[in-house]
Amino acid sequence: MSSSTQSFSRSYFLSSVVKKQIMAVTGLLLCGFLLGHLAGNLLIIISPDAFNQYGHALVSNKPLLYTAEAGLIVLFLVHLCMAAKLTVENNTARPQKYYIKQKTGRGATFASSTMPYTGLIILIFLITHLNSFKYGTIYMTTIDGVEMRDLYRTVMEFFAQPLGAAWYAFAMIAMAIHVSHGFWSAFQSFGFSHSKYTPLLRKAGIAYAILVGAGFTALALYGYIQGVQA
Amino acid sequence: MSSETKQPKKLDGKVPEGDIRTKWENYKFDMKLVNPSNKRKFKVIVVGTGLAGASASATLSELGYEVEAFCISDSPRRAHSIAAQGGINAAKNYPNDGDSVWRLFYDTVKGGDFRAREANVYRLAQVSNNIIDQCAAQGVPFAREYGGTLSNRSFGGAQVSRTFYARGQTGQQLLLGAYSALMKESSKGKVKIHTRSEMVELVMVNGKARGIITRNIVTGEFTKHSADAVLLCTGGYGNVFFLSTNAMNSNGSAAWKAYKKGAYFANPCYTQIHPTCIPVHGESQSKLTLMSESLRNDGRVWVPKKEGDKRPPHEIPDEERDYYLERVYPSFGNLAPRDVSSRQAKYRVDEGKGVGKTGVAVYLDFRDAIKRDGLEAIKDRYGNLFDMYQRITDENPYEVPMRIYPAVHYTMGGLWVDYNLMTGIPGCFALGEANFSDHGANRLGASALMQGLADGYFVIPYTLGNYFVTAKPNEEKVTTDHPEFEKALADAKGRFSKLLGIGGKRSVDSFHKALGQIMWEYVGMSRTEAGLKTAIKEIQALRKEFWKDVRVTGSDAGINVELEKANRVADFIELGELMARDALTRQESCGGHFRDEMQTPDGEALRDDEKFCHAAAWEWNGDDAEPIRNIEELSFENVHLATRSYK
Amino acid sequence: MSDTNTMTLNLKIWRQASTKDKGQIVDYVLEGVSPDMSFLEMIDMLNEQLVAKNDDPIAFDHDCREGICGMCSLMINGQAHGPEKATTTCQLHMRSFKDGDTIAIEPWRARAFPVLKDLMVDRSAFDKIIEAGGFVNVNTGNAQDANSILIPKENADLAMDAAACIGCGACVASCKNASAMLFVSAKISQLALLPQGEVEADQRALSMVEKMDELGFGNCTNEAECEASCPKDISISNIARMNRGFLKAAVSAKTK
Repeated sequence: MSSSTQSFSRSYFLSSVVKKQIMAVTGLLLCGFLLGHLAGNLLIIISPDAFNQYGHALVSNKPLLYTAEAGLIVLFLVHLCMAAKLTVENNTARPQKYYIKQKTGRGATFASSTMPYTGLIILIFLITHLNSFKYGTIYMTTIDGVEMRDLYRTVMEFFAQPLGAAWYAFAMIAMAIHVSHGFWSAFQSFGFSHSKYTPLLRKAGIAYAILVGAGFTALALYGYIQGVQA
Repeated sequence: MSSETKQPKKLDGKVPEGDIRTKWENYKFDMKLVNPSNKRKFKVIVVGTGLAGASASATLSELGYEVEAFCISDSPRRAHSIAAQGGINAAKNYPNDGDSVWRLFYDTVKGGDFRAREANVYRLAQVSNNIIDQCAAQGVPFAREYGGTLSNRSFGGAQVSRTFYARGQTGQQLLLGAYSALMKESSKGKVKIHTRSEMVELVMVNGKARGIITRNIVTGEFTKHSADAVLLCTGGYGNVFFLSTNAMNSNGSAAWKAYKKGAYFANPCYTQIHPTCIPVHGESQSKLTLMSESLRNDGRVWVPKKEGDKRPPHEIPDEERDYYLERVYPSFGNLAPRDVSSRQAKYRVDEGKGVGKTGVAVYLDFRDAIKRDGLEAIKDRYGNLFDMYQRITDENPYEVPMRIYPAVHYTMGGLWVDYNLMTGIPGCFALGEANFSDHGANRLGASALMQGLADGYFVIPYTLGNYFVTAKPNEEKVTTDHPEFEKALADAKGRFSKLLGIGGKRSVDSFHKALGQIMWEYVGMSRTEAGLKTAIKEIQALRKEFWKDVRVTGSDAGINVELEKANRVADFIELGELMARDALTRQESCGGHFRDEMQTPDGEALRDDEKFCHAAAWEWNGDDAEPIRNIEELSFENVHLATRSYK
Repeated sequence: MSDTNTMTLNLKIWRQASTKDKGQIVDYVLEGVSPDMSFLEMIDMLNEQLVAKNDDPIAFDHDCREGICGMCSLMINGQAHGPEKATTTCQLHMRSFKDGDTIAIEPWRARAFPVLKDLMVDRSAFDKIIEAGGFVNVNTGNAQDANSILIPKENADLAMDAAACIGCGACVASCKNASAMLFVSAKISQLALLPQGEVEADQRALSMVEKMDELGFGNCTNEAECEASCPKDISISNIARMNRGFLKAAVSAKTK
């Protein structure tokens, strides 16, 4: 054993443990982003101006914006590529499938066994999401003498369409399912495990999933109701 | 044929001179050493990778020998040593309760009913402490106290707490320790491990063991392997009985091949029958499961007083129950030793008082213990055993008494070896349960693991070197091209094609079951002259029928489980006959061997030290001739001959 | 035995002549199965009937039949070692099934465990992983007195929990990714928890994981089906312990 002096990089970055840890760290950072994003978006409910000003502030600081965007892209791409790699590898690890495969009911959950699928929904959502909002119709508005994008209007128009709101809500539920496994899983991959706090982490994962899931879905619902009333 | 010319011999155990306490130490110094740089020139074949085989392979490899290890399973970790539950004895005296090497030695000699070789037992007791140290160093997770020291418990009626354990899986943990040592050496390329390989022939060249022929279980291929010594670490032969606590693949074939090449088979009749096993459920039963005898600390053994009483146990009032162990052995009661308790259970069943659907079981009742100590206390002590019982029988032992019955568990007999663990064949050694040396006529609890590891870690590494230097097998270069290898290969192939060619009607298992029935009936817990003679006759007839009517499906290429079994059962049949013969000639009762004719007026085993204070070492004398009964006289200079009593 | 409560079963069993053969599910009807039989005794019974018809009996691995050797396997109706929790196939009894049931029996399936014949697979990959470092580098004779190194009872107990692994491969078989993480982590954990094994813990974690990956097992997705199928209840907290041990080893291992 001691004779096999593999180099640091080879033994580490190509190993199954680290691939999971990369998934974990990117996943957790994306979870953080999601929380921030949700907090910002909730300004929609407070007032259109607050939301637009928040959006304007974000895009005004170009260096910060580009750094953050680049960071997010990297996080997302790494998470995505690693997921694709893992899924392919996992598939090849069992070339011949079972005639019958049944879960024990004591281990895997719906969330854990659908990670690649919920992940895929999130990916598709992300593309449509950027397309509808970031690169969607641009309206302008002036608040306190400052001209800025009326993102509020774009968003509300989108949510006013039943299909738009429904797709958004569906994707957010998928997201919630995804993170309900991913959150706890990330800690497990890094080796945080103890009979005392592991159950708490699992609960925290569920709580987090409900929070982001319900939060984003609430926005879609709010937008839709606003649209109907208008 | 040659039976006239061969005369029984008196065998020399080659026990070194001197005080028993310093014998081994002095002998270690007296033995010749192999120069470190020469060790790699010696090749050792180790057959079997259980406790004895894995520990020997690893240790010999560490010393520098070239080792090839063979096992029939898919990994050395499967060996049946893994199933030992209770623990391993050592004379550490950590609990400060008066244990010592001398006491462990004394207890083992006495427990073996004075039929073991004193010097071997003393050495076993001496190295017992090194075993614990070695295993702890390997990372065996022994049970520990809160202070971090090792835990001990009292086991098998011993008066001191000298048993070390790892939950109820001591055998597993010790085997995995030895296995890991073996894998450590394998990773360095110093041991070559052949899995799913069965030894089918021993190869002798000029009177020395020089190799083996193996059959690859996956491909069916036969291979020749040469070496300077062959170590047989192949375990016991309890599966002669078909039903035993042994694993399904445990077999006596390797030892039997050695026997047929001139090694002596010693005391084959010494069989340990363990009293607390889960009883047979029906015809389809394939093996028996042992439950720790610790259960007898709190359980009371009983049967109904009335013959054929079919009432459920709770409807049988106390005055109609026969707590027979308490009745017959008032001072030891339910804790009477294994052989004694087993025999008493058989007597009750023979009287028609057996319980359960089959009528071949007795009750082990925890009702009173639960009443006395509370359900929780009993759960705490035996929870896992109760769960296991419930899983197998579907009965809740907290509510209804357990049904138990004795089962074959361990064979004290085996290949005769001298003090160096060498069999009657120069260069062929036997270690662990495969040899006969240390347990006499009865093995004490927690001693089997101790012996397997003692032989492998601490005895053979010394004595094998001495053999190499004194017998100089390497001076005669023998390769697998030698005609003896060709001949052995042809013999082995011939035997397998013969088995395939019989094309009879009866399955291998049906023969094995028939053999088991004969053995259990006549060579089981109590034996009589008439019964043993019947057994020999019936086994001989069975053997004839086997070679005429066995059906082995398939071919010799690839995996053929029926063929593997047929080869083993053919040997079991012959071995069974030798066991009966040994039991017939040993006209005394001792330990696991009980002759009905030889008992005290109150039904206890009656030894005959005048005539039978020796080991019987049988020598093969041709397929159809009676084997020769050689003997090795046993002398007891340190522990004086005395009668065991448990009244 | 009374015949009143015996069962008739419809068995769908994977038959494959050799590694190279393609293999298929073959249907058998087995009558007279007693609920007291173990699952393997049920197959013994079928085999006895096959031999009587001069057919090739079904090959399957088994040995101790008391749940400790780890030799038995079998995917039973899509579950490793069948439906009961913490039970090996040899300890599974037919009373877990009922008259008329259809039972599918398949071998473990994983790239690293090729089928040898019928229900028998080659699990030598596990030996290779142990060979990569699942041991303490101590030669016979080097040991000091066993009580000279004190080990907290809690650590010894945790080590024993991990050491209880029987190497059967149910974790790999039940994992949707055919990952061997539970097996590997159980050994890494056991030795890392004990001072005797701690000395080499870093290198061991690196080497064993590297070997596991090289042998073609899948990756862990923290689903815990392994833990749920494990006949010895080995916990996935061992996987977490391995993950952090690996991380620590990777940043601190004293390799060039």
